[in-house]
Amino acid sequence: MTKQITNIRIGIYLCDCDGKVSKKVDLNSVKVAIQSKAEFEYIRAVEVACTKAEREQIVAEIDKYSLNRLLVAGCSDPFIVRQFLQLADDKGINRYNVEFVDLSAAESVGAAVSAVDTALNRLHLRAEVGYEELAVIPDVLVIGAGSEAAAAAKAIAKNQPVVQIDNVGTRVIGLDGFPGAFTVILLENGQTVKKDFGAIVLALGAVPQYDKSKYGGVELGADVLSLSQFINAGKDYAGKKVGFALGKADEDSLLSFAAVLKAALDLKEKGASEVSIIYEDMKICADGLEQEYERARKKGVNFLKYTGEFQITRFASGIAFMYREPFLADPAKIVADYIVLAEDFVPAAGTLELAEIFDIRTGPGGFFQKDNVHSLPIRSNRAGIFFVGSCHGPIHGTDLYNEIEAVLAEVSAFAKGKVSVPSLQPKVEAEKCAVCLTCYRCCPHHAIEIVHGEEYNNMYFSAARMNPLACQRCGVCAAECPGKAIQLPLYSDQEILFEVQQPARIVAYACENSGFLASEFAKTLDPELQKDLQIVEVPCSGKIDIIYLLKALENGADGVMLCVCHKENCKFVWGNDRAEQRKVRAQQILNQVGLGERIDFVHVAANQGNQFNTAVKAMAEKIRQSGTNPGKVVK
Amino acid sequence: MIVAEGKPVEKILEMLAPYKKVLIAGCRGCVTVCLTGGEKEVGILASQIRMARSKDGNPIEILEQTEERQCDAEYNAKFLENVGKVDAIVSLACGIGIQYLGEKYPLTPIYPGVNTLMLGANIDVGRWEERCFACGDCVLDKTGGICPIARCSKSLLNGPCGGSQFGKCEVSAPVKEDIPCGWQLIYDRLSALGQLDKMSEIIPAKNWLRAKGPRTYVREDLTLDRS
Repeated sequence: MTKQITNIRIGIYLCDCDGKVSKKVDLNSVKVAIQSKAEFEYIRAVEVACTKAEREQIVAEIDKYSLNRLLVAGCSDPFIVRQFLQLADDKGINRYNVEFVDLSAAESVGAAVSAVDTALNRLHLRAEVGYEELAVIPDVLVIGAGSEAAAAAKAIAKNQPVVQIDNVGTRVIGLDGFPGAFTVILLENGQTVKKDFGAIVLALGAVPQYDKSKYGGVELGADVLSLSQFINAGKDYAGKKVGFALGKADEDSLLSFAAVLKAALDLKEKGASEVSIIYEDMKICADGLEQEYERARKKGVNFLKYTGEFQITRFASGIAFMYREPFLADPAKIVADYIVLAEDFVPAAGTLELAEIFDIRTGPGGFFQKDNVHSLPIRSNRAGIFFVGSCHGPIHGTDLYNEIEAVLAEVSAFAKGKVSVPSLQPKVEAEKCAVCLTCYRCCPHHAIEIVHGEEYNNMYFSAARMNPLACQRCGVCAAECPGKAIQLPLYSDQEILFEVQQPARIVAYACENSGFLASEFAKTLDPELQKDLQIVEVPCSGKIDIIYLLKALENGADGVMLCVCHKENCKFVWGNDRAEQRKVRAQQILNQVGLGERIDFVHVAANQGNQFNTAVKAMAEKIRQSGTNPGKVVK
Repeated sequence: MIVAEGKPVEKILEMLAPYKKVLIAGCRGCVTVCLTGGEKEVGILASQIRMARSKDGNPIEILEQTEERQCDAEYNAKFLENVGKVDAIVSLACGIGIQYLGEKYPLTPIYPGVNTLMLGANIDVGRWEERCFACGDCVLDKTGGICPIARCSKSLLNGPCGGSQFGKCEVSAPVKEDIPCGWQLIYDRLSALGQLDKMSEIIPAKNWLRAKGPRTYVREDLTLDRS
């Protein structure tokens, strides 16, 4: 249940945006209409709200009328949004209590009044968002033994305490708690010990692995070396011929190319007689690599492009690559004293075990992190657990330092030992909580715990609680709760169902990371199409409760759409999959009582305005075939 | 936990055909936990029935209410006001709750909105498996903590039948998946515990009277004299 605030004092500013709005809609008529029907404290029509003079007057009015919520209707310029949020912050008005309405698209006084009225109701329904001061542990655990882990630990240590473990001698065997207060269970000299950390950085690195099947079964030996063997051996090759082969392994990263360039330059400096590199595709698209390549050419390193397969053959004079040059008819040959073969990179030992212990996802090649456009490189599906370096796929050079900088920015939030966060995580009404664990199990972020105490007013004296630092506010838990005990602030059931009380012909529940953005774009492409369409924004499609789909139809919509992120690209792991499962059930519910096909599930990315419109047309066609919704309940 | 599934809505619509105003009563006990009869499902069923009846030109008014446990009279008392306003009740509680709520309000017809299935465990979200038959005479001590009554299709007491193949039962589950042979599970567990000798211990024929209803359980040390 959304908490009803009894002393809501709303100020409404109708901004003409320097005459832009009043070209189509008379603002004074809007004002008069609002005054006659709505509840608020103060209303004023303004010519241009974003001037210094207006700002000062609004500040004075906030004081004079003790306003604590603001509604700004005018243009949708980000400037005015920023200005009013800043003004709210300055005046101690909670920024979640400022609502903006875009009047630039309104065609009539009626439409403008209805938009303002909807926003006003939203403000009335909105629960107060508080801020929580939380004590956090500044200490950071860095896991990994290689140079990447050392670099990360060194950088973080400038701000806050760091413990680095190699996960071999001291091993992680368990994890409890939440960001800011993780308890890591370690196996240290055969003893189980618990240590507390605010954040965890995984920097296990990647390890090279020679795969002979990529080189026609060639075994490594005295004159055939893997790239890592060659680098680690550090032998003297003065007067020798060395040939490197790239392109058969480690096809997806720059690591081998960079290492070979460095080795080739080094060999030339130390007097190798001939250095050749055979490659399939040149990979030098990183800071400094192209310069290295130019330098290597100047020093006389041979760069030889091959196509297709190459053979490694032994001659009396040495060992040779037999290969095919793309533009020459005859096969080519490079004879050397040593040949060096690139290797693949695989996740370091312990990657999979840690993924299981931490409940974080692994993706391509078994490295940490799923392949997902919404995943920032350093973020895991759990807040407070970060990746640095090749443990989430081989990375090279400056990328590592960028990642360390990014992780530094994240973990340093805990450096002072306390943080202040808006209390926007879902709230649980203990009386309705059956402690069934559904939310706990469905949370993609491990953000839920079950807490116990006399204050939890149910037969279990227990309830689920969402941790404010771990929660990423997708709302999956709220949509899954069988007891309707969970409400996500700003997106409570009451607020969302209010939007569809008198729905448009088509209601589209749209994820704010994809579908909603696509719908904004779609509007500009085909404004006519939007007439019968109502967009209801949700933080993730995983928040689209099955009852939202049914209520929109019960209240008179003819069709409902779920506009969600692409498959496997949900920002919140499986929100879009849960939405799809709910769509299937909701359509079954309609079929059982003969209401026809009325629900569409659409994967759409933020930039796919055209695809969005195509989907709207398909929905319109579908409901044209199914006819007007006979299930509409007349109240 | 008691596990139930929603009844097909056409059956519920049939039951409700004569009525214009009904109460859908949810329960916050087992049926909320098994995602079948909590406040959420009450809302979904109510919406579905409203739409179905609107479509048929025979609108129905539905009240929705969910209370702690329908197997306790004190909680059922909370439905009093709403029961007074309706022609009939649909309960989404288990069979116990449905009957017990009905006993509380004997003059209002009550209908089941669910089929009560079993005593089961919630393996993961969306999956439940039977573990206990409530036979009234537990033999788990002899069978490595795995129940042959609930987990063997024939409730055999002394080892598997010939239908046990590669650890699976010859009977296939209603959900079209292989049922593990209960006796294979028992064998594996006893083997892991080093108690395989228990397999050769004969479990005598069971007193099935204890599994037959109507059963009543009374504890004289606890009953109150309310006279």
